Order: sequence, then C-alpha cells, then structure tokens
Amino acid sequence: MSVVTVQLGQCGNQIGYEVFDTMCRDLHNTQGFCSKRENEIYQASCKEHFFNEDKSEVPVARALLIDMEPKVISQTLLKAAHSGRWKYGQHSHFCQRQGSGNNWAYGYSVHGPKHEESIMNLIQREVEEYDSLSGFSIIMSMAGGTGSGLGAFLTQNLRDAYPNSFIMNQVIWPYGTGEVIVQNYNSVLTLSHLYRSSDALLVHENDVVHKICAKLMNIKQISFRDVNQVIAHQLGSVFQPTYSSEDSFQYRRNPLGDLMTALVPHPEFKMLGLRNIPQMPENSLAYTTFAWAGLLKHLRQMLISNAKMEEGIDWQVRPPLSGLPALEKVSPNKELRFNTSIANLLILRGKDVHSADTGGFKDPALYTSWLQPSDAFCEWRTHRAFNKYEKSAALVSNSQFLLKPLDTIVGKAWNMFASKAYVHQYTKFGIEEEDFLDSFTVLEQIVASYCNL
Amino acid sequence: MGRLGRRPRGETGTGPGALPKAIAALSRALPGGPSPETFRRAKFDLPEAVAELWSLLFSLLWLIHQEDKVSPRDLPDALEGQIRFVKWVLRCHGYGRQHFYQLPEVGSHGSCELLLAFSWLLAYLSLPEQFLFLRCVHQGDGVWISSCKDLARCPVPLALGPKGRVDIRYIQWLLGKLRFHWRNLYESQQEQCTLLNKIHLYTRGCHPDQSIGHLSVPETEILRFPESSKQLLQELESENSCLEAFLEWKHMELVYWQWMDTVLDTRPGGMPNTSKQDVFLPEILQNYSPKYVTREMDRVQKNLEALRERLQEVVNQQRAAWHMKVSKCSQRLPRPPELSTAKRKEIQEAVGYELTTLDQDCGVKRHPCGLQRLVFRKAREPNNSGAQSVTKIIQLLKREEASLERTLRRLQEECQQELAILAHGLEGVIWIPPPYPRR
Repeated sequence: MSVVTVQLGQCGNQIGYEVFDTMCRDLHNTQGFCSKRENEIYQASCKEHFFNEDKSEVPVARALLIDMEPKVISQTLLKAAHSGRWKYGQHSHFCQRQGSGNNWAYGYSVHGPKHEESIMNLIQREVEEYDSLSGFSIIMSMAGGTGSGLGAFLTQNLRDAYPNSFIMNQVIWPYGTGEVIVQNYNSVLTLSHLYRSSDALLVHENDVVHKICAKLMNIKQISFRDVNQVIAHQLGSVFQPTYSSEDSFQYRRNPLGDLMTALVPHPEFKMLGLRNIPQMPENSLAYTTFAWAGLLKHLRQMLISNAKMEEGIDWQVRPPLSGLPALEKVSPNKELRFNTSIANLLILRGKDVHSADTGGFKDPALYTSWLQPSDAFCEWRTHRAFNKYEKSAALVSNSQFLLKPLDTIVGKAWNMFASKAYVHQYTKFGIEEEDFLDSFTVLEQIVASYCNL
Repeated sequence: MGRLGRRPRGETGTGPGALPKAIAALSRALPGGPSPETFRRAKFDLPEAVAELWSLLFSLLWLIHQEDKVSPRDLPDALEGQIRFVKWVLRCHGYGRQHFYQLPEVGSHGSCELLLAFSWLLAYLSLPEQFLFLRCVHQGDGVWISSCKDLARCPVPLALGPKGRVDIRYIQWLLGKLRFHWRNLYESQQEQCTLLNKIHLYTRGCHPDQSIGHLSVPETEILRFPESSKQLLQELESENSCLEAFLEWKHMELVYWQWMDTVLDTRPGGMPNTSKQDVFLPEILQNYSPKYVTREMDRVQKNLEALRERLQEVVNQQRAAWHMKVSKCSQRLPRPPELSTAKRKEIQEAVGYELTTLDQDCGVKRHPCGLQRLVFRKAREPNNSGAQSVTKIIQLLKREEASLERTLRRLQEECQQELAILAHGLEGVIWIPPPYPRR
C-alpha cells in the first residue's frame, strides 16, 4: 500500500530527500546478508510503498515537495535527479516566491487558505495514480513558518479530505537554543493543531540527533546534512520492509497502518519517539561485531532510563516493582527517572534475527497499568540487514520521553505570552489570544495525560 | 413435529440392504461420516458407538462454526472439551432433550441419545446442504454483502483490574484500535476494487458466457499459472462426488427416517421435551464460550424458572386489577360517539402513510445478503433479470448507515446529558463535553 510523503518547507524537503536517498541506497546495498531472490522481494515491497515505476525504470518517489520559496525545492529536485538511483515526479512540487518569515500565523492563515486548492489538487492527482493509499507521512519542522504553519493547515485539510487514511507527522523539534525568537510560540501552535488532526506525531529532536552526530558518528563539524542523514537512517530502519509475522517470509503490506494500530490507538497519546542501536561511522562498521542480547539490553535500558542514545545510559534506573506505585510516575515536576511506556514497537533487522530474545520488553512493569504487554508491545523482524549494519534494532515508543522538552517549551512560551511579547505578530494574521490560550490548554492536557500513566 | 414435514415424498428403495446404502450415501456426503454399523449399534445404545458419534458430531459442528466464530487455536483436543463444545452448540440451536445434556462428559454411554441428536441436526440444520455449500468451488469474483445487523454481536473480554474495574483508557484504546482496523479494512477493500476493475477491463470479451463478458480473478489465475488447473480439477471432482452422494442420500432419505422412528420407539420415556423453557435464545448463547455456558447454565435455568413463576403471578394480579378497574369505568362512562366517516378516513390515511414509511424503512433490509457474484458492466449496458446493481445496494446500505448513525447520535446525546447531570453533583469540577469522535 502506498504512503505519500509530503515534504514541507526547507527542513521537510531536505530531510525528505535524505529519507528517499537512504532507502534507495539500502535497496542497492549488496551487503544485505540475504539471497538475491530475497533481496528482490525486499526491493519490490519497498517500492510498492514508497516509489512509482516509470518508463525510464528509475523509481519515482511518491512524494510532494511544497515550499513557499523556490530555492530549496529546485536544489532537492536536482540532487535526486543526479543521484541516478531515483528521482522525484515531474509535476510533484509546489512553490511560491515569498516565504513565511518564521511566522506560524502567516503560514497557517495566509499561505494555507491562499494555496489550499492548488496543493490539494496536486495531492489528489498524485493519489489517484495509485491502486491503494495507506496514508500520508508529512515531514515538517515544528518551529518555523512554512513547515509548521502551512503544515498544520494542510494536515487539517488532509484529515477532512481523506478520513480513512492514516496521517503521521514527522515533526522536527527545534534546538533548545534555537535562533528563532518565537520558536516556542510556533511549536505550541503546531503541536496543539496537529494533535487535533493527525494520528501520530513522530518527534525528531534536533538536540538529540546533534549529539548522536558528535558522540556516535564522530563528526567534527556537524552540518544540517549530517543531522538529516541520521534522521533518515532512523526512519528507514522503521519503514523499510519487515516480515508480516514471525513464521512467514511475506513482507507486511501496510507498515504505516500497522505501526499506528500498534502504538497510537488512544487519541490522547500520539507522541512517538525513535531510538536506534547501533549507530557508528560507516568505516568502523567492518571492525565491529554485535550480539542480539547486548543490543537489546542496551536498547531496553535506553527506553526505561529515557536515554536517547547508546552513550551515557543511566544503568541505575530500574522498573518499579509491580503492584507498588512508582513515586517517579506520579509527580509531573520532579525529575523523571523511570520512563513509563504506553506502547512500544521493536524492529529488528539482520543476521540471526529469529534468535533474538525480546522478553525484556514484555515486562508489565515497563507499561502503564491499564495495558498489558500483549496489547502494548509489538515486534517486527526481517533477516535482511539494513544500511550495511549486520544487525540493527529500532524502537518506536509511545512513552513519557517527551514530557520534559514539552514542559520546557510550554513554560517558555507561556512566560513570553504572559508579557504579551510578539503576540501582535500573530494577531495581525488572525491568530487571536484566545487561540493561544486554547493551544496552551491542549498541551497542558497532553502533559497531564502523560504524567498520569 | 417438524421432522416429519421434512421427509421427501416419492419412491424410495425399500429393500433389505436399503438402510446401509442410505447411511453409506450420507457418510459420503458428510466429511468423516461413520459406518452403518455404528448406527446399528447406537440404535441399541451400545457403548462401542459412543466415541465415534461424539467425534462425528464434534467434527461436523466444528467445521460449520469455525468459519467466523472460533479461532483455530481454541480447538479443544481432549474428548471432554469436544463434548462440551457439542453440547454448547446444540443448546445454541435450541435442541431440547434434557437426556442429551445429562450425558457424562467422559463419553462412557448414551450412543442412542447421540444418534437422536445427530438426526435432529441432520434435519434441523440441513447438514448435507451446508457442507455442499462449504465445499463449493467458486470461479467468479465474490463480494460479501452484509450490514451491521447481520453481524454477530460479540462481547469483548475485558481484562479487569484488581478491583474488578476496567480503566476507561483501556476501552478508549480498544475503540481506537477498532477504528484503525476499520480504516485498514476500508483501504484494502478499495485496493481490491481497483484491481478487480483493472482485471475486468483488461479481460473484456474473453469469457465464453456473453452475459458475463470478462474473466474473474480465479480464471485469470488459471490462465497465468496453468499448473493450478490440476488442483481445480481435483476440487471439482471432489465436489462432484459429494453431489452424487447427496443425490443418492436424498433419494433414500425416507428409509433412514422410517428407521429412526423405530429408534424412537425403542426409547422408553424418551419423548422429546417440548416444553418451552428448554429452548434457549441462540443469539444470546452464541456470544459466550462453551466453558462458561455449561458451568452457568443450570444456575441460569433455575433463576429463569423462578423469574417466570414470579412474573406469571404478577401478571395475573395485574390482570385481575385491570379487569376490576375497566368494568368500573365502563359502568360510569357514557358510550363513545360513533366516528364520522371523514374522521375515519383521516385516520385510515394516517395509518396508511405510517405503514408506507415503515415499509420503506424495512425495504432497507431487502438487499441480498452473503456472498454474491460480482460482474462488471459498463453503464447503460443491458442487465439480465435477477442481477442487482451494486450502486443500488450501496444506496440501501447508505440509508441503513444513516439510520444507524442517527441512533448513535441520539445515544451519544443521551450519554452526554447523563454525564453532565452526574458531573453537576461533583463540586469544583468543570464539565467540558467531549467532541463527537471522528471515524
């Protein structure tokens, strides 16, 4: 089933390109540790979800590029065409001459309604070409103007136009010390609006990815491109094909729908985070071997201690004894130590994958009291290796991991709002103070819901 | 007795070997049918036939019921579990012989009771016909037409918390899951329709039958993979032999039923229990697991009987009181005036109108249900009689959906009002009614 990727704004377009490029490079990877025939089925399954076939036999990404400035789009189109491995569709982009100037209200209230018809027509034309549509993956930044404002507007429109499709927003969380002064306002507005219309928000924190680049990938001068490649690798490790069940060698038909069904059926809990193991520079891969037991032990500790990467895991954190309410769980302001999950999806790829024991993730103490591990935990496997890693694991988790960053953003935005700083820039374009207050309420509710697991 | 009404009339072979032949034909028409010898033993209630008859009953009922109700991993393998399952299904269908339900679950005796139960199923469920349908080889493209009303209402087994309560968030989670599964289903149906349409358009004019005009998916598959035709041939041969056996059975059925009469005669005091309290409502019982039913049944039955008696008492009292009241009133009141013709006509018209709207509402139900053959036709192409246009059925289903949605809204509003009243009782609580959930 097809997934349409909508790349929004500068950030969305740049990351979108890296995602497709990573997938294509992985498809042509000869070190997949599987037979040629198996590799062909893997390729076919990936193409079924993310690419169209074209007369030139170069796969065409099922993606739409949308930005209010032409520069990034033309660069992205060109880069894809030059790769030779894949390309974008000829008429699959929409751009204008003037951006949103980091003003959420401008993207949402001016660009959105003005270009609604053209963009929705573009999407409809794209969707009509497929035999089936699983849903949309919208890549956008949370703090900018076009990606976030127009993204929120577009998500709402997609929800109304395609009520039976899944919508996942890939949200890029800004650096804590970001350069845009109103980024917290933009973030609050984006998150609250997406929470109403999207099915899931998969969050990528710039700070975290930056640290991964520095500590794990050993990159000295970290560029946006490096950060985007790490995000692309993480996304690829989730959405590349996996077997539909443990004893079958058939690839799953609807990865997006299956992921949503496993993780976000509850409408109050839509925040997803992504962790990967291992991550290292490509040239070190050849000298390293991994064991499933070690990888999974690390990944589990990363989950419960809320570590975003392999390095610096707090091994002291243990799950609360079952039956006793964990003190850490109830207090919202206290430093959260144990990270309680609602649901987790574990994706394992590579050699001897069937021997990997995932029992550590099926412990009821890891999960909220109202869900059993049988409801809350899901695993996908395939023995085709991903992106040159002989063995790799990814964990998509619906848990308390975002409580702290969310609380920080809401707090900072509220302090600014209390002194009415920059609010006129929003009211000028029709976002009233009341809309702000509504957004704060929504986010406070999300924080409270996740606190009381 | 209904059984007598089902006997086919007409010539039958009534020679000395006719009965074994009839039973042999029946055996061939049913999967895993037993030998005539087992039936003979069962007539004399010999214990040797018990095991075979229980397993026969179990395998038949399992095959019929496994399709939609029970998942294969629940298959009971021990004899005890099988016996419980058979008793449960028979109860669901309303089989009323107490002797049967009292048979021990170790399967030590009671072959004659089992024979009676088997014959009852044979007549009541039309077993051979059901299996013919199950084995039928379909070569056309099928489409299932059903509405919510036809679906079995299955209770969801909720995991109770320590205090015997369910967390509301768990129910919301399950509801969300249902909604997502529904979306998945919807999308795969859409995909199937698109692909079917492609095949139908591509193979237009290929079918020898002019009224169909295109190939179906199974037919296209055979063209693509000719080796699969061998399997099809086998399936058709097996269906054919089943049909032959069925015809033979139909021909000789009377002999069997005459013999069954003699079986009944040998059962002293074994007349079927026809009093009403033995018949349970199948739609209630089908929703529960066999384990639950057999355990709870006796208690429920006793409760029901006690309730019925109390109800009867109350009804009698009320009726007597009413009679008193009515007779008093009628003595006091003058005779009502005769209705004028105009008034009567008005009432008749109103009733007529009500009836037609009711008829229209009921018309919704009149769409065909179950598996139907799907044939593609271009618009304005002539339609042979009997075929229904999918567009029309969709219209009917949409009307049904709209009416269900109205009911849902009404129920939601009622719930909201009730919740609002409850919330008023709580001090310091602000009540914000939830928005209607999207699908």
